[in-house]
Amino acid sequence: MRLERVVVRGFRNLEAMERDVPEEGAALLGRNGQGKTNLLEAIYYPVLFRSLRGSADAEVTAFGGPGFHVAAQLAADGGALEIAATYQAAGKRKRIVVDGAEVARLADAVGRWAAVAFLPGDVALASGPASGRRQYLDRMLSLADRSYLAALSRYRAALAQRNSALRQGRGELVEMFDAPLAAAGAVVVRGRLGWLEGAAARFAAELAALGEPGEGVLRYHGAAPLADPAAWPEALERTRARDLARGLTTAGPHRDDLVLEVGGRELRAFGSTGQQRSAAIALKLVELDTLAEARGTQPALLLDDVFAELDGERQRRLAARLVQPEIRQVFVTAPRADELPAGISLPRWTVEGGRASA
Amino acid sequence: MGAIEELVTELARLPGIGRKTAQRLTYHLLQQPAGQTSRLARALDAVAERVGPCESCGNLTEEQPCAICRDPRRDAALMCVVEDASAVAVVDRATEFRGRYHVLGGRLSPLDGIGPEALRIEALVRRVREDGVREVILATNPSMEGEVTATYIQQLLSAMAVRVTRLARGLPMGGDLEYVDGVTLAHALVARQELR
Repeated sequence: MRLERVVVRGFRNLEAMERDVPEEGAALLGRNGQGKTNLLEAIYYPVLFRSLRGSADAEVTAFGGPGFHVAAQLAADGGALEIAATYQAAGKRKRIVVDGAEVARLADAVGRWAAVAFLPGDVALASGPASGRRQYLDRMLSLADRSYLAALSRYRAALAQRNSALRQGRGELVEMFDAPLAAAGAVVVRGRLGWLEGAAARFAAELAALGEPGEGVLRYHGAAPLADPAAWPEALERTRARDLARGLTTAGPHRDDLVLEVGGRELRAFGSTGQQRSAAIALKLVELDTLAEARGTQPALLLDDVFAELDGERQRRLAARLVQPEIRQVFVTAPRADELPAGISLPRWTVEGGRASA
Repeated sequence: MGAIEELVTELARLPGIGRKTAQRLTYHLLQQPAGQTSRLARALDAVAERVGPCESCGNLTEEQPCAICRDPRRDAALMCVVEDASAVAVVDRATEFRGRYHVLGGRLSPLDGIGPEALRIEALVRRVREDGVREVILATNPSMEGEVTATYIQQLLSAMAVRVTRLARGLPMGGDLEYVDGVTLAHALVARQELR
């Protein structure tokens, strides 16, 4: 599935634009602060209907503006697809329209189109807190499998209710939300463990291909038995007193982590910056493969300044692995054309003052 | 605040109506013949003054008890429990159900500060005990909070000599299997029925 045309209005510093998009993608060139990353963010918006940088919709809205509108026209094997999102700052309303029909729930529109973004901050996947890795898992698995997304949103809703009951110190109400929490939580844990079965070997292979010595290991840190809903009552019973005292639920996949190791050492604590960067890239490559496999079509690839930090050899390898316009659409940013790795020949768009021109 | 601005603000409080729509409605009303707006104002006043919850079932009514509770042809041993009064009209119009209703006035939701004491659950238990109810049909919404509320009531009534049932969940009529969400489909499979 490829992006054919993009419409952007009122989005960050970007000027209103309506552009045809080349089949192979584009290299977005321009000095910092001109809007390259904002354009990537706008392109990604119709994937999750959320900023890829995790910004709130109000922050994405052009300063002082009434809201924003992003539309993506896509070409698929089966025909065309149009996804549009409109956000109104007054009333904080978001309207999502797929092929002319407004969708009732955001979840119904998520996953129609998929893209994988590599951002400079992604190194935190290896070096940062567990929340970043859970977000990685949840985003990827939601795009790969609709039932995961449905379970995740039910899990979050049940968790919010249960935590609220805990904060109010109402044990009898807390218990009422144990069953929906367990039913949805088990699906989430099962989805993550199922992914890990294939992903662990892929992660090791990607890390080796990036030239990182030492074996890469991917491990799930959390209560694997919770993949079975029958294991939940006992787990929640064990933590009930503590949960009530703290006012939050301390067991479940919202506390779990994905542990990355190289050569037997945990990367987060003991990895070098170079190792951490390689591991984060390897995770993103696994994400790319996971989505391509689950969806039967290559996701688009968004690369924001990812080559700058790598040495020449690593740049060349990564570019060769990722930038294959014949199988997938690629958008890559760089300050100048000569800062792109050799071998990348994408149509060039210059981004200046929020305006993109070919 | 001027009269126009005041009306816009009041209308914008209504669900599904933003400021723009509220403005459009206000200017529309201003262009109507004088009698029209007065009739609307009187209708609003009448609703506010005369309509209130039925002291027995909680349904909205102008008389006490409501028409459904007064109707002798209805089976008092059958009780359908719903979240809101609006559901009474929906169930009554669409189904053959000719028992009585009990309106909870919401659903359990700690996030909104709604516990059992904020709902008409005690009144429900009292009615079941005193009115000779044989079956309680739990018709709360199929949302997580609706399910939790149903489970709570079911547990509460389990010690009493009353049959407790829950509305079936499954495939929508006239639908297409392809478009049914996974959770609903899973429920429909579990609750499949033998054809005879």
